[in-house]
Amino acid sequence: MRVEPFDTSRHMEFTRRATVVTGGVMGLFGGIAYRLYDLQVRRHGDFKALADENQFNTRLITPLRGDIYDRYGEVVANNVPDFRVLVVPERTDDLKATLMKLAADTTLDLPPEKIASILEKARRQRSFLPILVADKLDWDTYASVNFHSTTLRGIVSEIGASRAYAEDAGAAFVVGYVGSATSDDISRARETAANEEDAGKAELLYRQPGFKVGKAGLERTFDKDLQGASGSVKVQVNAHGRVIKTYAENAVQPVQGAPIGLTIDKELQATTLKVLADDYGEYPDEALGPHPVSASAVVMDIITGDVIVMASTPAFDPNVFSRGIESKLWKELNDSPLKPLLNKPVAGTYPPGSTFKLLTAIAAQEKGISADQRYFCNGSFRFGGRTATCWKQEGHGWVDMKGSIKHSCDVYYWNLATQLDIDDIAKVAERFGLGQTYDLGIGAEADGIVPSRAWKRAYYRNDPPNQTWFPGETLSVAIGQGAVTASPLQLAVMSARIATHKKVMPRLVRAMGSELITQPVFEDLPGKAQHMNAVRDGMNAVVNEWGTAARSSLQPDFLMAGKTGTSQVVGLRRDPKTGRRLKNEEIPWQYRDHALFVAFAPYDNPRYACSVVVEHGGSGSKAAGPRARDIMRAVLEKDPSNYDKHRFWSGERGETQGPLEVASLGGQP
Amino acid sequence: MTIVIEAASGKRNKLRQRLSELNVPLVLLLTMIAGAGVLALYSVSDGNWNPYAMPHGLRFSLAMLVMVGIGITPLKFWLSVAYPAYFGTFFLLLLVPVIGDTNMGAQRWLSLGGFQLQPSELMKIALVLALARYYHGLEFKQVSTITGLIIPLAMIGAPVGLVFLQPDLGTAILLGLSGAVVLLLAGISWRLVTLGVIAGVGGAIGGVQSGLIKAYQWERITAFLNPDADPLGANYHPNQAKTAIGSGGIDGKGYMQGTQTQLDFLPEMHTDFIFAILGEEFGLYGALVLLGLYLGVFFTTLQIAMSAKSHFGRLLSLGIAVTFVSYVLINTGMVMGLAPVVGVPLPLVSYGGTVMLSMMAGFGLVMSTWIDRNQDTLRTTGFGG
Repeated sequence: MRVEPFDTSRHMEFTRRATVVTGGVMGLFGGIAYRLYDLQVRRHGDFKALADENQFNTRLITPLRGDIYDRYGEVVANNVPDFRVLVVPERTDDLKATLMKLAADTTLDLPPEKIASILEKARRQRSFLPILVADKLDWDTYASVNFHSTTLRGIVSEIGASRAYAEDAGAAFVVGYVGSATSDDISRARETAANEEDAGKAELLYRQPGFKVGKAGLERTFDKDLQGASGSVKVQVNAHGRVIKTYAENAVQPVQGAPIGLTIDKELQATTLKVLADDYGEYPDEALGPHPVSASAVVMDIITGDVIVMASTPAFDPNVFSRGIESKLWKELNDSPLKPLLNKPVAGTYPPGSTFKLLTAIAAQEKGISADQRYFCNGSFRFGGRTATCWKQEGHGWVDMKGSIKHSCDVYYWNLATQLDIDDIAKVAERFGLGQTYDLGIGAEADGIVPSRAWKRAYYRNDPPNQTWFPGETLSVAIGQGAVTASPLQLAVMSARIATHKKVMPRLVRAMGSELITQPVFEDLPGKAQHMNAVRDGMNAVVNEWGTAARSSLQPDFLMAGKTGTSQVVGLRRDPKTGRRLKNEEIPWQYRDHALFVAFAPYDNPRYACSVVVEHGGSGSKAAGPRARDIMRAVLEKDPSNYDKHRFWSGERGETQGPLEVASLGGQP
Repeated sequence: MTIVIEAASGKRNKLRQRLSELNVPLVLLLTMIAGAGVLALYSVSDGNWNPYAMPHGLRFSLAMLVMVGIGITPLKFWLSVAYPAYFGTFFLLLLVPVIGDTNMGAQRWLSLGGFQLQPSELMKIALVLALARYYHGLEFKQVSTITGLIIPLAMIGAPVGLVFLQPDLGTAILLGLSGAVVLLLAGISWRLVTLGVIAGVGGAIGGVQSGLIKAYQWERITAFLNPDADPLGANYHPNQAKTAIGSGGIDGKGYMQGTQTQLDFLPEMHTDFIFAILGEEFGLYGALVLLGLYLGVFFTTLQIAMSAKSHFGRLLSLGIAVTFVSYVLINTGMVMGLAPVVGVPLPLVSYGGTVMLSMMAGFGLVMSTWIDRNQDTLRTTGFGG
């Protein structure tokens, strides 16, 4: 059937339908137009803000950490340029693939474990935060990464600042070191922030790659001061986070952290470290290696309390720690019998041995025993049915206080000990600086032990029968054995307080920011000042009158007063067959006696106090004394009052005079 | 000899005459829209003619030639090839799953020689053409009968189903919509229209329930209803596009000054989201001008449809006009968060060859209708003939 081509009815219906459709189309266009009005006029402000939020970004500028200087302004810790590579997970298409490509295309050393640790880190933090891939790169590697970074989305190479510590400054134990912020550090920073906004800012700062927080030592204690204030700059970025434009005119510049001025003398510190590590003949044959020296030394200015030297050997390189230490090296350091991770000057505690006799002597004088009172030493002392032997078995004969110090006679002090109460000795020991910490700001300070009745009660609080103090124990403590222990720092303070009879307090920081910290004025110690005379005389005799440290004399240049100490680590070792007392070199290293030496100088006008402890060094007069001598020579020569004697000023710096040859003159060990 | 020459010269004269009868406002409006596309694409590529602006312009020139070529061809020729064109395109659609290229999880493309073809886009025109042809030969009283409905529903349903399976939800919807509009214009009863709407909604729900609609499509559909959810995933594009348009304000940020688009916050904006760059850089004024141009095309085509005496020409022209504006409406709605992101380009502005070619071919048919508007009787063959 043929259809009538021009069908009026369907034409009319078409017209009606076309009108309906047109109406629908216009309605919908109206809707679209209204939506445009809605977005572009009514809600324009909101979207403008959103667009600005997209394109404008406030970039945090990490502040430089404050520098740390020694007492003469020599750099101990500062910031150096650091070529590093970062990855921003959000900007990569596939983080793992990007890192693999980075490892394959460039000369960057990126082992699979490292990639795994980056992936792990990426899982734990927000994806727009950059993660450090590698730092401290050499120029070639950096250039190689730079060259390929255009094809590696999300990989950013930049020049940042990283912490550097002066080499040979032995900075590790004083200054400590820095490390990347852990989640604990971040939550601590958040908690200490004043408000939520500051907390957020702090977290952002702490999460900046390359941002380091103090992990130990002064870096940790003064972290907030050293940190500085972060800056910010408004930048325009594209969707990939690339900065298109920087609005430098509105930037808030970061403020570098406050510099810290140490009391430490970097040069003397280096000299001391060298002296400590040198072989002073105390290890004639050794399985532990050529220099198994585990030693520490503290030198103080007794007028100001400034700790000029605080050295510990062996030391580690804080630069390694700041970089993030590898677990293998960590284990090696941790397991070494030389305890390189222990901050020995403050954290090492040792029986002070004969150096403690100085305090027993003071306690005896306060108890009314005259310094002139003499006791006879025949080499042994009977007490409570047992016989103790003086270190000099043939005996010292009649000795007074000065002589007892000079010769370090044990019998003399046992005689004193029978007349003293342990609490008398403890009181003096505490007054002269033992059994307490000084809050130098480096943490790790050990209290040491000053035995007393109260101490023993507390120590054996769960064991009442053992709480009673026995007079025999007083005998041990009187010669620095038994329970008594002290750190090298405490021994240096003791020495300083004996020299001045003032309450000398040590300090490590002499300037904070641009401000010098007010020099303290030390009060007089209680007790009679003249009680010091016999002790100081004795100490002078030890060094300068053929006492136990005669070989440590600095004459004719300087008069140094000192006291040797040789403290037993274990009971006497005897040959099982003959019963002969074994010499130190005949027993294993770890059972040998500690060697100690305390000193102050110049004797007639004291300025510096010093303590040296050589772990298992054998004998104070052989291992500790000579080291103290060489350290003190360097210290005294640098003192401005000694221009005439100072080779530093006469241009002969660096040469050290060999040990004074006095051994042949019959000096005591 | 003379007869041949006369015939030839007569043909030439006839060609020249048909050329002179082209609808100039339509040509101008289409050219202005394509010009807006070139402008936007030039801005997208940071002020470069490549890779988008120049090819876009060239393609449009080529498509314009196609349109004129189709336009000067007599309408009755198009009537006669309507069904073959439909079946040919349908065959191409069938080929897609066999030899097509996969792109973003969907097979839509056929590589023909050097260029890629999207048969589903051609189908929109072919479908309207075939439906117009069908109703041209159908008595009005049969339009709403079951026998009169089976064939057009099959003609719509088969390609829609194929495109849906590719899967290309956006094109499938548009295709179905184009066909439905022709049915509506052809005069099917309002009862059937209501039924159709209910069936469409039911089909959509059923499609989701039965898993026929893929997960990523469903995500995109639900995303636009809840713009705050998943801002970096399914809602990233619509949210950034809204931000771009909204931040453009009344005056816009200025040509090539759009921060959202120039700083890549809105990626891939040379295709479906190109309206955002215009809205951002030219503001409300610019967007309204573009919408005005599209409406202008619609009304010009409406006027052509109304002036045509043949039912074929009327249905064809308005069917194409409605297809054209549905692209515009769905695309702008999608860019502004009023419709789900279904992958519908902005015709003549978005970068992409097939859509431009098929739309311009469609307007070629409109042009042919315009030139032959006074022919009321067209020779018909085939269905219903």
